[in-house]
Amino acid sequence: MKALEAYHPAVSAVYFLAVAGIAMFCMNPILQALSLFGALLLFLSNSRNRSVSSHAGFLLLFLLFALLNPLFSHNGATVLFVLNNNPVTLESAVYGLVAAGMILAVLYWFRSFTQIMTSDKLLYLFGKLSPKLSLILSMGLRYVPLFQSQVKKIRATQTALGLYKEDNLIDRVRGELRVFSITVTWALENGITTADSMEARGYGIGKRSHFSLFRFRLRDGIFLAITLVLFGLACVSICTGALEFTCYPTLQWAAASPTGAVGYLAYGGLVLMPAVLETEERIKWKYLRSSI
Amino acid sequence: MEILTLEHLTFAYPLCVAPVLKDVSLTVHSGEFAVLCGATGSGKSTLLRLLKREIAPVGEKTGRICYQHTPVEELSAKDSACKIGFVMQNPEQQIVTDKVWHELAFGLENQNLPQDVIARRTAEMASYFGIEHWYEKSVSELSGGQKQLLNLAAVMVMNPEILILDEPTAQLDPIAASDFIATLKKLNDDFGLTVLIVEHRLEELIPICDRLIVLKNGCVLHDGDPRAVVAGLEEDSELLRAMPSAARLYHALGASGECPLTVREGRKFLERHFDNRVRALPRDEVRTKTNPALDFENVYFRYGRELSDVLCGLTLTVYENEIFCILGGNGSGKTTSLSVAAGLCRPYGGRVKVFGKKLQDYKNQSLYCGCLSLLPQDVQTVFLKNTVREELSDAGAEADALPFDLSALLDKHPYDLSGGEQQLVALAKVLATKPRLLLMDEPTKGLDADKKAAIISILKRLKAEGVTVVIVTHDVEFCAQCADRCALFFRGNIVSHGAPDAFFSENTFYTTAASRMSKGYYERAVTVEDVATLCRRNRRDVT
Repeated sequence: MKALEAYHPAVSAVYFLAVAGIAMFCMNPILQALSLFGALLLFLSNSRNRSVSSHAGFLLLFLLFALLNPLFSHNGATVLFVLNNNPVTLESAVYGLVAAGMILAVLYWFRSFTQIMTSDKLLYLFGKLSPKLSLILSMGLRYVPLFQSQVKKIRATQTALGLYKEDNLIDRVRGELRVFSITVTWALENGITTADSMEARGYGIGKRSHFSLFRFRLRDGIFLAITLVLFGLACVSICTGALEFTCYPTLQWAAASPTGAVGYLAYGGLVLMPAVLETEERIKWKYLRSSI
Repeated sequence: MEILTLEHLTFAYPLCVAPVLKDVSLTVHSGEFAVLCGATGSGKSTLLRLLKREIAPVGEKTGRICYQHTPVEELSAKDSACKIGFVMQNPEQQIVTDKVWHELAFGLENQNLPQDVIARRTAEMASYFGIEHWYEKSVSELSGGQKQLLNLAAVMVMNPEILILDEPTAQLDPIAASDFIATLKKLNDDFGLTVLIVEHRLEELIPICDRLIVLKNGCVLHDGDPRAVVAGLEEDSELLRAMPSAARLYHALGASGECPLTVREGRKFLERHFDNRVRALPRDEVRTKTNPALDFENVYFRYGRELSDVLCGLTLTVYENEIFCILGGNGSGKTTSLSVAAGLCRPYGGRVKVFGKKLQDYKNQSLYCGCLSLLPQDVQTVFLKNTVREELSDAGAEADALPFDLSALLDKHPYDLSGGEQQLVALAKVLATKPRLLLMDEPTKGLDADKKAAIISILKRLKAEGVTVVIVTHDVEFCAQCADRCALFFRGNIVSHGAPDAFFSENTFYTTAASRMSKGYYERAVTVEDVATLCRRNRRDVT
């Protein structure tokens, strides 16, 4: 979903914290189902990689968690069947399913998070905390790939020189150690020039300001406000116990109440916000295109 | 108005008896485009660094350096950082941050400027330098030329009044280098920006500068109008070799009068003073074909499945005991072809044979022992040790057996050597594997004219010993001087090849300055020496 990506980093970060936070702390099957649905929807529409293989591992994880709990935990009153003299209960099966759903949902929220919150957005958020920290992170982000490519180049050169035989382990480890040690020297050498270049451009003459490309616009404010309101409503509803759900000893729902309904609706709204934005954007573009 | 004045400047590094700079007095005027040149070790870089307080070397200094009548030590920190811009040689190492826009903003952030001022100034600079469309990219995605342009823009964004550049184009390919120099000229013309530049490649700089300063052993040898300075240079000096081809021709012929600097002036000079009765030099070029040393047959290669082909049906044969030069633009696949030949990249189609044996049939590193060796573009990757001595003994190279002298460098750290010295040490290490086929990637990058001549003589010696050399290079002048055959690479394949005289005289754009100067007047003259010989035979009878 391109729509969420275009928002201010702080807004996206708050959104992810809100939506994943609730999913992490509330063991309610309906809430978890909503969360999982939203997370999958966002990830699938956002990701360019639609291959099944990238989801297979997650599905396996889900099945593992869902199956392990009833096999190892025998709490609960309703016995479904007995396996090797151990009772398998309905309650523990439901608990496993809900917990596995929670883990899967949170994982998918974070997969989307890493796609949407790119390095420069995170850097911007850290920069708000400390301009120095953000500069260090930015330099780090530059140096890590530089270091890696240098190691690769040195390795290729040394291979072509035929100085290190790769057919025995000790030789190979020794070769790698030498490559690593010279790369550290190289990085230090490199650092001197970089330091000169920083100083030549006035680094350290006083307080630094922090520049970024992100602007906080009206629509960021609106999005943030909606996120916070929905999050607040959901929180209130959870805190009052209207969404309470317990598995053991028997499955127990909190009595249906208006507060509960508000909680479900608020979280449902929160989860669907990116999809709503996306649809809105699509309609807008369709309309614009037809009017051009 | 003087912008920079040096009065009796003498400087010595600690623990060195002899000063690097001796009683240098210079004045740079506002709006000047001044070029500083001199042999390696003449103190050029030291001089430049002393002008910028933040990066001035430590040592014993006497005399004064004033920026607009204020000694540089007394400038405010902000003025010193902003008014004097400094661009260094290595494009990669000067970059501090990971994104283009952040790099542009870096100097302004240091001055604690507010967001909207930074936004405006970076936007202005990005538009002026044409970096808009890569403004949000990571710096790791940029080419060397783009990186150096970014370094320039990141300095210009601070509104300097004088720009000091220390060999800014040494690491760039010729096209990026001339773009960079054209940008400097434009800045100088458009804003009256004062430029002081040190450079080895003078072919394009000399014609556009208004002042040429020559340093020798820490003293100012010449200082003045470039034409007069070039005309007054000593015959056959090291400095002369770095000068534009037209000027070298003028000197080679011992001519007098106005010294030509550009190809156009050189052409006029030829036509005015010499006939073309003898149009071409006789060539003795019946080469007997020997066995193939390196054979590419319909080779296809790409770096990833979804990427496009880098080598596209490459067919190429290099014969034993020849020097074969591959020319071509950036990204045309030249370097990749060397990696494939060295077995570092595996082609997905076609066949590569080295000395008649398929590459895959060389087992257990036998390819790299006494058969083939690759000298990469970044020669620093060759070094693994702390001194040159250890480096050589590790490779099993004997310092005495080398075709060149490294004895003065033995106890230094390889990284402390100059670019040319690093090249020689790396070459020594590569030669220690006793290769019969030597592959070299850009061996003349960043070298001064003297080191280049040294490399050429080494290559000729290796050839006499029976070594086959394949060189990938951008340097057409170098090719014209040392190659037996040249080839032009374009989009993963070879489009033309031949002996350098035929090859370069058929090319119109991708050719040497001497060939462009003499095209249509003389035939097959590609080096300054060729043209000079022809001129001597065509002397006009004085009537």
